[in-house]
Amino acid sequence: MISCTEFIPAYSDLFRFLEKRDGKESVIRFWHYLSDYFLGNLQETVKKEGIQGCWTYWSRTLSEEAADFKMELDTQKGIFKGVLRRCPSKGRLLKLKHFKAYPDYCGHCDVLYRRVLEPLGYDFYLDMSECDRATCRFYILRKGDRKPGPKPDVGTSRKKKPGVRTKPRA
Amino acid sequence: MAHKTMSCKASDHEYLHKDFHGALSAGIEYLHTHYGEQAVRDYLREFTRKYYAPLRRAIRQRGLAALKVHFETMYTRERARFRVRLTRDELVISVAACPAITHMKSHGYPVARLFHETTRTVNEALCEGTPFKAELAEYDPETGRSVQRFFRRSR
Repeated sequence: MISCTEFIPAYSDLFRFLEKRDGKESVIRFWHYLSDYFLGNLQETVKKEGIQGCWTYWSRTLSEEAADFKMELDTQKGIFKGVLRRCPSKGRLLKLKHFKAYPDYCGHCDVLYRRVLEPLGYDFYLDMSECDRATCRFYILRKGDRKPGPKPDVGTSRKKKPGVRTKPRA
Repeated sequence: MAHKTMSCKASDHEYLHKDFHGALSAGIEYLHTHYGEQAVRDYLREFTRKYYAPLRRAIRQRGLAALKVHFETMYTRERARFRVRLTRDELVISVAACPAITHMKSHGYPVARLFHETTRTVNEALCEGTPFKAELAEYDPETGRSVQRFFRRSR
């Protein structure tokens, strides 16, 4: 048996195995399969409870995964926001000195959750810009509640050093 | 309640998310269906050789005592009922019910047809390059009850 506490490296290596066999496309196909056949509990919970279902689902899974996280739910605005200050899965992979994680390990979250939530009427935004530090933020919003315009600020960008410009002046 | 927040530190909870057994099972079934039985064994063997490299090194250095510690730690953490018997040349682990299968069955996750390979292939791969061999002496696919035996290879 592989302990559930050692699942993450096994999962990461399954992505690597599939990619080596059949390319990145095969990894994406597997993520679709997993989303369809394994995330039924998220789908059912959100169908039944609406945006509150996101709270129900992630409060259990992130607690069982001993994550360092913050969640925020606003049922009136139809917004759920999760901040993983230290993703337990990526954090574990980063700690392993003898084991190389699949480079796009975090990509599975974007594919799996989006595929469940979008057909249920929610937008899913995931910021993976700090994945290399096991930090990410996701934002789920009831479709139609968002006004047209730029993507919501999910509080993702690293703080800029004072005086450092990201764009050259015209 | 219209607005609520929750903040947790890693130390607030124990790391034990048993639904991961269901995800591994789904992965095994997917590989089996799309790539065949041998792919399941190849994947598990490759993973074991890489991820458990420190354990395999410990087996070469300290023998079956290293494996005993590994299994005791794992099955205790997973709250399994198990017995371990270690002699100079043999380690026998008797597990009353596989905690992964117990969890999957009680939560409605399908158990992959080749789920037992997570025991058999993994144990065999753990022993590669060591003086020991692994044998899945008994296995009940319904409950995952098993007798796992590790013994010294004949010279």
